[in-house]
Amino acid sequence: MPQNDKALLSRLKEQKVEFVIIGGVCGVLHGASLVTLDLDICCRFNRENLRRIEAAVKDLHPRHRLTSNKLPFELTAELCGSLKNICLNTDLGVLDCLSAVAGIGDYEQVWKQSVPYSMSYGEFRILNLDALIAAKSAAGRQKDLDAIRLLQAIKEKRGQQKDLF
Amino acid sequence: MIDEATLAQMNGEYFMPPDAGPAWRAAMEYGFDMSLVEDALQLTPEQRLEQHQRALDLILEVKEAGERHAAK
Repeated sequence: MPQNDKALLSRLKEQKVEFVIIGGVCGVLHGASLVTLDLDICCRFNRENLRRIEAAVKDLHPRHRLTSNKLPFELTAELCGSLKNICLNTDLGVLDCLSAVAGIGDYEQVWKQSVPYSMSYGEFRILNLDALIAAKSAAGRQKDLDAIRLLQAIKEKRGQQKDLF
Repeated sequence: MIDEATLAQMNGEYFMPPDAGPAWRAAMEYGFDMSLVEDALQLTPEQRLEQHQRALDLILEVKEAGERHAAK
């Protein structure tokens, strides 16, 4: 299955989903030379926003990728109130939507520690470098600890060269 | 006449920038190719994402080729 982050981001933007880019793609946007196989976002988990996510992916055959029988992603009022994360396989790749980020907090906290990045297809918010390092540190897997080494180096370089972004 | 340092770089040796701080040095010593990070930092975020997409496409292509080969 192809992973097309640009197309997924464009769709989320088109549907006005409230979200912040986190995880590996956030690291890539900060300049880390890593490759990540999914798109992770933190979003507001209210009914309206979840419906926007649903609209963004509804024609992409979305399925809950971690359910044993790959259940289709079909929101109900009950699900809107009980979901904390949505981990999807879609025709454009993996999209993981989280209501909170370990080491940071809920969506409000994540948003407060995010910065806007402009791209030709819209403006997106991504975790700032310190918050991303905190999140990776809280996740604590080997790949996160590896990424922290790179992110610390980038932070240091940015401290030296203020024109870098 | 190519000097020794240039020749070493041509042979793949990373030239540590004189202003490299401890975190930069630590990442390099850990094994990261910091020249790639230097290059990425010269790009816009959108260009970084496009570069990532190309790398991802290549990885998936190689993975699929491997799976096809294994299935033969």
